[in-house]
Amino acid sequence: MATAPKEINQPAPEVLLRVENVTKIYDGTVKAVDDVSLTVNKGEIFALLGGSGCGKSTLLRMMAGFETPTKGKIHLAGQDITNLPPYQRPINMMFQSYALFPHLSVWENIAFGLKRDGMPKGQIAERVEKMLNLAQLGKFAQRKPHQLSGGQQQRVALVRSLAKRPQLLLLDEPLGALDKKLRETTQLELVNIIEEVGVTCVLVTHDQEEAMTMASRIAVMSEGYFLQVGEPDTVYEMPNSRKVADFIGNVNIFDGVIEEDEADHVTVRCPECVHYVGHGVSGHTGMEVGVALRPEKIMLSDKKPKGEYNWCQGEVIEIVYFGAHTTYHLKLDSGKVIKAQELNNTRDLSCGLTWGDRAYAHWNDLAMVVLAQ
Amino acid sequence: MSQATNNKIFSNLWMVVVYLFLYLPILTLVVYSFNDSKLISTWTHASLRWYEALIKDDDLISAVLLSLKIAGISALMSVFFGTFTAFALNRYKRFKGRTLLSSMASMPLVMPDVIVGLSLLLMIISVQHWLGFPDKGLFTILLGHALLGTAYATVVVTSRLREMDGRLDEAAMDLGCKPWQVFHLVTFPLLLPALVSAFLLTFTLSFDDVVLSSFLSGPGYSTMPMVIFSRARLGLNPTINAVATVTIVVVTCAVIASSFYTSHQARKRKREEAQAYSDSNK
Amino acid sequence: MATKQGFFSRLFDGKHAVISIPYFWFIMLAAIPILIILKISLSEMQGTSVSNMIDWSNGWPKLTLNFSSYQFIFSDSLYLKTYLSSIQYALLTTLICLVIGYPFAYFMARSPKHLQPMLLMLIMLPFWTSFLLRIYAWKTLLENNGIINNALMSLGVIDTPIAMMNTSFSLMVGMVYSYLPFMILPLYANLSKLDIRYLEAAADLGTSPFKAFWLITVPLSKAGIIAGSMLVFIPTIGEYVIPELLGGSSTLMIGRVLWNEFFSNNDWPMASAVAVVMILLILVPMAIYNKSQAEAEAK
Repeated sequence: MATAPKEINQPAPEVLLRVENVTKIYDGTVKAVDDVSLTVNKGEIFALLGGSGCGKSTLLRMMAGFETPTKGKIHLAGQDITNLPPYQRPINMMFQSYALFPHLSVWENIAFGLKRDGMPKGQIAERVEKMLNLAQLGKFAQRKPHQLSGGQQQRVALVRSLAKRPQLLLLDEPLGALDKKLRETTQLELVNIIEEVGVTCVLVTHDQEEAMTMASRIAVMSEGYFLQVGEPDTVYEMPNSRKVADFIGNVNIFDGVIEEDEADHVTVRCPECVHYVGHGVSGHTGMEVGVALRPEKIMLSDKKPKGEYNWCQGEVIEIVYFGAHTTYHLKLDSGKVIKAQELNNTRDLSCGLTWGDRAYAHWNDLAMVVLAQ
Repeated sequence: MSQATNNKIFSNLWMVVVYLFLYLPILTLVVYSFNDSKLISTWTHASLRWYEALIKDDDLISAVLLSLKIAGISALMSVFFGTFTAFALNRYKRFKGRTLLSSMASMPLVMPDVIVGLSLLLMIISVQHWLGFPDKGLFTILLGHALLGTAYATVVVTSRLREMDGRLDEAAMDLGCKPWQVFHLVTFPLLLPALVSAFLLTFTLSFDDVVLSSFLSGPGYSTMPMVIFSRARLGLNPTINAVATVTIVVVTCAVIASSFYTSHQARKRKREEAQAYSDSNK
Repeated sequence: MATKQGFFSRLFDGKHAVISIPYFWFIMLAAIPILIILKISLSEMQGTSVSNMIDWSNGWPKLTLNFSSYQFIFSDSLYLKTYLSSIQYALLTTLICLVIGYPFAYFMARSPKHLQPMLLMLIMLPFWTSFLLRIYAWKTLLENNGIINNALMSLGVIDTPIAMMNTSFSLMVGMVYSYLPFMILPLYANLSKLDIRYLEAAADLGTSPFKAFWLITVPLSKAGIIAGSMLVFIPTIGEYVIPELLGGSSTLMIGRVLWNEFFSNNDWPMASAVAVVMILLILVPMAIYNKSQAEAEAK
């Protein structure tokens, strides 16, 4: 099956957080997190991605100390913190919808954690000042949270959690409370601040775009365990299962059987077409597999492609215009509907296909991923 | 005249009549407290003689003082136990006997005062038989008022706890607060307005109660409502009008002032939020 | 998923302390007293004290249940009549409060938004001023030589005073007056949340305003009607002060019977039995109320 490229000849990264076989069971029966292990390296932004109820928040809350694992251990920088209460962990969290203290000013919110540490007054003022500058909120220091816009509140929440210089920063749906347009700019600001400070982050989100753009590695979670852990492009281009392929982006999946299994290529026979995959896979002849093909990797034309592999024919039944690209729904002769995405790189509307046209879809021999059933 | 105007006139008239019905008795109390006549209902001329009589009325004055004392202490007790009850019922969604606690906490709200008074008194008498104390008096009245007040305070604190974001407590803890610091630095300040209104409500309830006090009081402990009640049973007494006017004026001023204050705060907050929103869009 | 238990269990040194304090308080002052009246209602007076239910004189406990108080309640027509008339008065009060309060709350919810807080405060204000004094005020108004009769006579409308005090009329005036705000507040809370677009949709579909009121507004405010009615009905059943001050001896209310059994007759078992039957009576509307509250909360 598809495997991530091995990193060779790189110095071993320093591990900051190590989660070992952690399980969380609620009320004796509900398994929220099921035997999860992971390591987060120093300086990394690690994303836990999954739908609601997948266990990502529970895992994050165990890292913060609000929940204790039913089984398993959590180590931070070599120290076992599994049973340490949240107020003794060098970990801070930026909460979903921020949880700014409504009765305290911006300044007091940022200084809150520093005061608990008994830091001298002068140093607190200095640190808060630095944080305010980092968030470009200098002139809002005396305002109360409700006197700030959503984006400003978000930055206060971020620097409040950074003020104590935690070894690990946890972000719970950091952009969830903002509207779509604000998200993009805020996301950049957020990453800039985090990179400037150089803190290690674990981020929880249900938004795949957010995870892909912010994180250096992603863990895709479902029903309490990890489906796949890897860099964003790996997870996108080489999903290890149908679930991951389905969850991250759009995908067409063809069911078929391995017909030829060679070291440098395989062919998969499906009812619609024969796939010629330009690399070896770990499988055997006669094995039932799924072939995953992203819509943007499919090209459409009205002429029959050369060769006998990697194309199929169908009728255009739907055209959805998105501005930057257009998605065509093609009904194949077998009845299966596939999606193909064409870039609108000229201003006349693309390849001239319209509803009811017969069209050929084709793709190259490295476009697809073969998945076990 | 159009249908709409007719409707408007009818609805305004309805509201005015209901308000008159609600305020007419209060107004007559106040007006007739300045009546010189000994006969409460016959207006002669204005005078302050009943206020003079009130000042000299030692029974009534000491009853008022006792009532204030009881109301103050029992309201504090109510807020204390009410806060605990509200925390227990709202922060712990599942524990054995939660239903029992919540029904016990709402019992004083729905049971008639006579039943609450009777049952408490019989309980106190049993305890007294058994242990030799407590004697009926200040302490037993306090227990009764605090029981009733706890039930009301629980309702007030609960509604505030429900709208409070549980993440705030976690955020405080995350930033290094030990559990008692969370309460002291975050939960308590945010709960304070609710505690104040719970105090005022339970103070008023206690200051107003006659039934529980009658059951639970002992010789020498007559609260203001008890004195007023016993005089009112016998007949009309203009001194009561005077004392009524004083309490009405105090309460009205307090209620109006506090409602102006809260509505002012709410308006200010709305303005600031709108301002923050428009600032960020510039 | 997010439970607050994890960390609050550490607050106040554990959840048990937080739970046990109110538990102890209410067990002592609410649960045990109710059990005690239940126990005393099954005993009888022996001189100035109550008979022992459990007799240890033979060396083992001998339980004696005495149902004489209950037998008396159910055989003496006066008690039954009093319970019935208490329910009648409570029902009538509820009905009148609903008839007056529903339109009032409806108009209030429809009045200009900036006026509503003030209108609401004006409803709450009497609640903060002494209930006892307000009932006393009605006495000064309704007496034979009271303010209303005096005014009418001096205007020449009547020659002899109308007897209003110590009648069902004065009792009803006092009860409706005292409990009207309890009807208006939940109704207003409910009606002010009613989405005006439902009525616009009804009008759009060709419903007249009068029909829309009955078909849309009233059904949607059912929760408010039930809450308001129960908040009036439940406390009025056992009301003592109003019948004592305004009702006179001719109006039968069970709260007064209990009071008299205890204070005048010194019959504790009888007073307790009256109370137990009253509690059973109240449980029915209580259950209705709790059910409708739970439904409203679930929405």
